[in-house]
Amino acid sequence: MKLRHPLTLDTYEVRTDGTVLVKTPDGVDGIFRDNGEWVRGALREADPHLLGFIAGPQIKRGPRAPDVPTGGGSALPPQLSRHSRSENGGNREMDLGLEGRKAIVTAGSRGIGLSIAELLADQGCDIAICARGEEALQAARANLEARGAKVCTASLDVSDGDALEAFVQTAGEELGGVDIFVSNASAGGGPGLPAWEHAFEIDVMGTVRGIGAATPFLKASDAGSVVVIGSTAALEFLGMPQAYNAMKAALISHASDMAQALAPKGIRVNVVSPGPIYFEGGNWEMIKQAMPAMYESALQQCAIGRMGTPEEVARAVVFLASPAASLITGANLVADGGFTKRTAF
Amino acid sequence: MSAESNAPFAPLRAVPAGEGPRSSGLTYQQLLDTDTRTVPEVLRMESARELPVVRVPIDRYTSREFHDLEVEKVWKKTWQFACREDDIPEVGDHTLYEIADMSVLIVRGEDSLIRAFPNTCLHRGRALKDRPGRSPSLRCPFHSWEWNLDGSLKGLPCRWDFPHVKREEYGLPQYGTATWGGFVFINMDPNAEAFESFIGDLPTHFERWPLEDRYTEAHVAHLMRCNWKAAQEAFMEAYHVVSTHPQILAGIGDANSQYDVWDNFSRAITANMTPSPHLGHDPSEQEMLESIITTSLDSAPNFRVPDGMTARELFAQMARMQLQANAPSVTLLTDAELNDSFYYSLFPNMHPWGAYNKIVYRFRPNGNDPDTSIMEVIYLAPFRGKRPAPAPIHWLDYDEPWTEAPELGPLAKVFAQDTFNLPKVQRGLKSAQHTHVTFAHYQETKIRHFHTLMDQYLSR
Repeated sequence: MKLRHPLTLDTYEVRTDGTVLVKTPDGVDGIFRDNGEWVRGALREADPHLLGFIAGPQIKRGPRAPDVPTGGGSALPPQLSRHSRSENGGNREMDLGLEGRKAIVTAGSRGIGLSIAELLADQGCDIAICARGEEALQAARANLEARGAKVCTASLDVSDGDALEAFVQTAGEELGGVDIFVSNASAGGGPGLPAWEHAFEIDVMGTVRGIGAATPFLKASDAGSVVVIGSTAALEFLGMPQAYNAMKAALISHASDMAQALAPKGIRVNVVSPGPIYFEGGNWEMIKQAMPAMYESALQQCAIGRMGTPEEVARAVVFLASPAASLITGANLVADGGFTKRTAF
Repeated sequence: MSAESNAPFAPLRAVPAGEGPRSSGLTYQQLLDTDTRTVPEVLRMESARELPVVRVPIDRYTSREFHDLEVEKVWKKTWQFACREDDIPEVGDHTLYEIADMSVLIVRGEDSLIRAFPNTCLHRGRALKDRPGRSPSLRCPFHSWEWNLDGSLKGLPCRWDFPHVKREEYGLPQYGTATWGGFVFINMDPNAEAFESFIGDLPTHFERWPLEDRYTEAHVAHLMRCNWKAAQEAFMEAYHVVSTHPQILAGIGDANSQYDVWDNFSRAITANMTPSPHLGHDPSEQEMLESIITTSLDSAPNFRVPDGMTARELFAQMARMQLQANAPSVTLLTDAELNDSFYYSLFPNMHPWGAYNKIVYRFRPNGNDPDTSIMEVIYLAPFRGKRPAPAPIHWLDYDEPWTEAPELGPLAKVFAQDTFNLPKVQRGLKSAQHTHVTFAHYQETKIRHFHTLMDQYLSR
């Protein structure tokens, strides 16, 4: 959106991050927030009314009035597209409504988490990711910034609950809100009793505390949404009993509870349960090398004849996370290429 | 206080309209000459009164003492808009009107008449009702004293224990009520002047735009960090447009608005689709259309003003098409009525807009706090067939943006611009070393009118 002040002849143009570029007719410019606060540039003052008008919260939060009476404060589905394309013979694209949204993805520096962060960035979201390794984080940051996103990163272990909560808080402040929280971190599989406690801390408590810390921000959003990464390992027996399977089951159950609890606050909670997902450096690459029989057996169970890719999981996550899925909450969307055989009523 | 002292105030002295300096822009009456339809008398009227007020003391906006005076001299004395008739359509329906720290209970009786009572039990004073609802009688939740819908005492538990309570002495005291345009008015003063005399010719002005045939499409109440008068005065003049809404200057006749006052009501007329006299250039018809259309229409179409047509004609035609389904008589309305803003104010705090601009504003103090207030925006929309239920009140907290109420449509952005200044006004008033605020002679006529009436009430 661009406006010219009819008296001063300054131009006001909203930038993708919601700030406004103001240029005088002499070419002096400055960048301002919608409350009139100066950010940078030689021009130090601009008309606060116009700044608020063109870049205020209405840009992202103001769906148009519906044609029918709404009954006062009833919640309306968030607006997806400002521009109908129906004049092109009804060829209407579905807009996910993610432009300008803010998302947090735990364990977002590699694998499925990174794919989710990439796809969200491609849809116009700003992203915060955390992971243990600083090196992978910085690579992911460069990758996401190249996609046009504002990026926050934090190096931490999700089992450190205080660090996780601080990350969510900082991310929300730095990004200026949180619309989407993706709880992706997992301890993975592994035998033995200590693995149970570790899996509990990361998979279960990481999700519980992460959602808790993100809730105030999600509540303030007009399209707050949580996606928890589950697993088909929670749905059908996968070779051996292990903490991973039970923790993922706990997450699916908890997400369903939270969907009910947070619905009155306008926050949706869903699960995406991937089946076997193959990527370099992933578990299934390791299994393929270490336990070829198990790999072959899993591959044969995939009805589509192959394992999934992280991007295929990310597409499911991004859809559920987006305002386009405004009616969907409490769902467990299985993305497994037909790996599981149960009838999912 | 004797009944005589509450006789109607002496009418303000009429003076010739059109005197004094004016903007160099086209006058509204000149603009009306270009209309494609016959212009009704109500738009041709111009009216002025002698208004002595040009400045008022700042403590009118900031002091608790002045607020208390206002309660005693104005709120307890004057007619005020309390609710809509369709808020209480059925027998036993009741709603509350709260002003300062007082609560008024408004009830639809078995005879379908509307009555208003102080919302208090005559036993030990509990509020009879906590919220709007429907009940066959008015029963206090504390000890179950019960009144009929007409206010007569119905009964109370352990009647034997109250030999001193006579049924005829314990009817609920009744406040004056009146209706106009689907609005319910109340007056707490038993000696108040008749409503018909108070409202004067205002109903005549609205004959072409019957507000009783509208329903409450949206009702938003916003808490504001400023005195209620500071808030409403931001909506009583077009003088602020050049500074506060610069984006619409290409298509709004701000400085050349027309202001009229009568006894207890006033109006401003601000034309749209005509350029501001502030502009240093002549905008094209298309520029005029675009400057207004994005903030005034629910769906901004990509209209181009055809050659040989003005933006005014085009916008009027579009509005006729949009309104026709629910208000067939719009085909007869002038271009003026479909383009321009006619913002009336009925003393002390009600601001119904004329023609088919759906807005009604109401401003009230927030309890007894002179530094905060409640601003309400009500959209009254025409309908066809069965009357739709009125929208419930959508409350917005001090810092919640107007855009949190999507039912307000694109105008929410304009309300945000208007109210942006208000907390800063209150802060400025609190910091003042000077003693008075002052008003423009013509463009702030309505505010001067308001304070002139205020002075009348305070003087009694």
